[in-house]
Amino acid sequence: MVDIGTLSLIILLAMFALLAIGMPLGFASAFLAVVTLMLKFDPDIIWGAFGRGPLSVLGQAVYRQLTNYVLISVPLFIFMAALLERSGIARDMYSSLNIWMSRMRGGIAVVTSIMAVIMAAMSGIIGGEVVLLGLIALPQMLRLGYDRNLAIGTICASGSLGTMIPPSIVLIFYGLVTETSIKALFTASFLPGFMLASFFLIYIITRTRINPSLAPLPPPVPGEPEGRDKSLMFLGFLARFMAWFTAVLFGRALFFTATGDNAIREGEDPIPLGMVADMPWIAGAFAISLAIIFLVVGRERTAKGWEMGKGLIAPIVVIGVVLGSIYGGITGITEAAGMGVIAVFVIGVIRREMTFEIVWDSLIRTLRSTGTIIWVTIGAASLAAAYTLAGGPTFVANLIVGADLPTMGIILVMMFVFLIMGMFMDWVGIVLLIMPVFLPIVVRLPAEEIGFFGHVDPRYIPIWFGVVFCMNMQVSFLSPPFGPAAFYLKSVAPADISLTDIFKGFLPFICLQLLALSVLLAWPPIITLFL
Amino acid sequence: MSDNSLFLGRLRGPVKTAMIGFIGLTLALYIYLIFQRLFFEDSIGMHEMIRPTGRPMVQIMLGALGAALLFASLFLSDRKGSIETKPDGFFDLVSVVLGRLGMIMTAFIVLVMFYEVVSRYVFSKPTLWANELSLWIACFVFLIAGLYAMQQRTHIRIYIIYDMFPRWAQKASDTLSVGLIVFFTFALVWGGFNDAKNRWSRMETFGTAWDPAIPGIVKPALLLLITLVCLQAVSNLIADWNKAPGEHSPADEIDETEIENIRRTLEEKN
Repeated sequence: MVDIGTLSLIILLAMFALLAIGMPLGFASAFLAVVTLMLKFDPDIIWGAFGRGPLSVLGQAVYRQLTNYVLISVPLFIFMAALLERSGIARDMYSSLNIWMSRMRGGIAVVTSIMAVIMAAMSGIIGGEVVLLGLIALPQMLRLGYDRNLAIGTICASGSLGTMIPPSIVLIFYGLVTETSIKALFTASFLPGFMLASFFLIYIITRTRINPSLAPLPPPVPGEPEGRDKSLMFLGFLARFMAWFTAVLFGRALFFTATGDNAIREGEDPIPLGMVADMPWIAGAFAISLAIIFLVVGRERTAKGWEMGKGLIAPIVVIGVVLGSIYGGITGITEAAGMGVIAVFVIGVIRREMTFEIVWDSLIRTLRSTGTIIWVTIGAASLAAAYTLAGGPTFVANLIVGADLPTMGIILVMMFVFLIMGMFMDWVGIVLLIMPVFLPIVVRLPAEEIGFFGHVDPRYIPIWFGVVFCMNMQVSFLSPPFGPAAFYLKSVAPADISLTDIFKGFLPFICLQLLALSVLLAWPPIITLFL
Repeated sequence: MSDNSLFLGRLRGPVKTAMIGFIGLTLALYIYLIFQRLFFEDSIGMHEMIRPTGRPMVQIMLGALGAALLFASLFLSDRKGSIETKPDGFFDLVSVVLGRLGMIMTAFIVLVMFYEVVSRYVFSKPTLWANELSLWIACFVFLIAGLYAMQQRTHIRIYIIYDMFPRWAQKASDTLSVGLIVFFTFALVWGGFNDAKNRWSRMETFGTAWDPAIPGIVKPALLLLITLVCLQAVSNLIADWNKAPGEHSPADEIDETEIENIRRTLEEKN
């Protein structure tokens, strides 16, 4: 009825109005989906007959979302993170890392960052991580007299890495909305995620070297190993871990040989590290590990090193289960999340921490968060379906591509939109409402003009844009006035640290995030290195 | 223990007994079914499980499972979780009981996936049903999660401007929001009713080897659950009408009890 330009404008304005009066985002989008259809079609077509007509699009769109297998990974990842929070895994990991690095300048800040990276590789959501790090590391840093801003910034910036390093719930949603391979997204975001983490580390180390008063060293603990002794112990720890790992691998290969699963067949991919031909290699690695334990390090030192480092074992196992099954091709994303839940649960049982109450509490939290996230998805899916039916995305794409802007100019404008929206809105809303409009535009831009120093193949553009978006959302977790990380930290920080202090501490880290974002924009091929 | 009972009161004991009884019955039947699966040719497997017509054993099994789930949800919903809003009124109770069902089903999905991964990867015998069963359950988890989130009032809203309104304007905005939700539900049912009814009456199946009736059941359930969400929204509006205006900040997202729990876990062994 009305032309698509007017329709788009009405929907946009109505969206702002409805959000302003505090209508839940998911339902506002769902209602606007109805409005879109009413503006597009004649009233008698819509309301002419009960039970059918264009409005059936809504039910179809919701149903399509519900029956999406990958979407199941969302509650499972939330469940896993909730269980992780309540187990002592994080605390033990902190003490292990701390023993190795306590004598280093800025050691606790570095430990915090590394721990955040490990936790980010275990789960894909943020919030819990900032709270955990705030409870574990913040008191230590403040007690030692670390610079407050440095301590706060380190905890929140590193704690937000959860959605940048795979598995990441932001990338899962991006993949769902844009129908991009989530596994490819995970692979692509690996390097950018670690790049950002290493920016944090370099910043911490450089600043504490230049100005040692920012991070005083703890007094040495008598009887604690030092220098060469400590490195040898670490080597012993690694060797013992390697020995265990190769022994398990060998057993696995033996099992496959016994069941005949790894027989070489035409047209079947060999099982990674599970073929008969791999067994000598595995056995060799096992022998080398043993040699290091007995000849180089010595049994006693190995045992001591193991004692000091064993807090790292549980996280490595969880990462191995989740990321290992995704990259190893054993399971898809969804089943990997399910296995992650099982892994955390079993570790909790072994550590004698799991109780029915913890599982039940985690389930309550899971259902709450699932409802919150999934229903934005449902509403946005209806709106996207209705808007697409009305020809909206094509209209917007033509508008922007026809506007004769330079390619990178368009991309930069989009970045600006993301950053501004990220200040006020949850990432879930942005990816669901904005992506269906933005991505078609990006895909239509000439691929050879995207990036300044190197370009990627057009088929990788959606993946690249997903990683770029994820980096944008990193900034949104920290940006005032509503950066969620600040509020999570505030809830566990001493009362004299105000929100303003916290946001002040974020500044250098936001700059680092923007730096990482510009690297991604200027040099897109960074995402294809592992693809 | 009945002092912190929410609504069952004196019935709490009987409900607990019924829950334990039905869970026991379900497990016993399950063990029996596995047993006969191992030793008899013509046995009941997952394929027969979703086609109960003419198979009394399957009917009993499904009945026992359903009753076990119902009583477990009833029993578990009688106690408020530390991070939950107190249910208040009939619709709240319906939402909370269904919410409990959703929580049990989430755990169930994990078990189904575990079974599938183990049987595929370790025993190289992938199941035909595990993926579809988790999909089927997950549809309900998602729908129920929305109802539960509505009762708990945790749907994502932006409060920046809302909090600046005087109370009467807030009430007006709330009424408008709920009115629009009702309108959306009306439009959804208007457009989707025939489709859902046809699929339900045909019990349309998924068209795979195991062939569960996902479209036949989920499509009507979708309309039903969204209608319940809409009723819950109306019920919230009435329940919150005379409440004092609350300030909202992103800090509301964080629950103090949970942080207290985490803190306790961290201190336990130090």
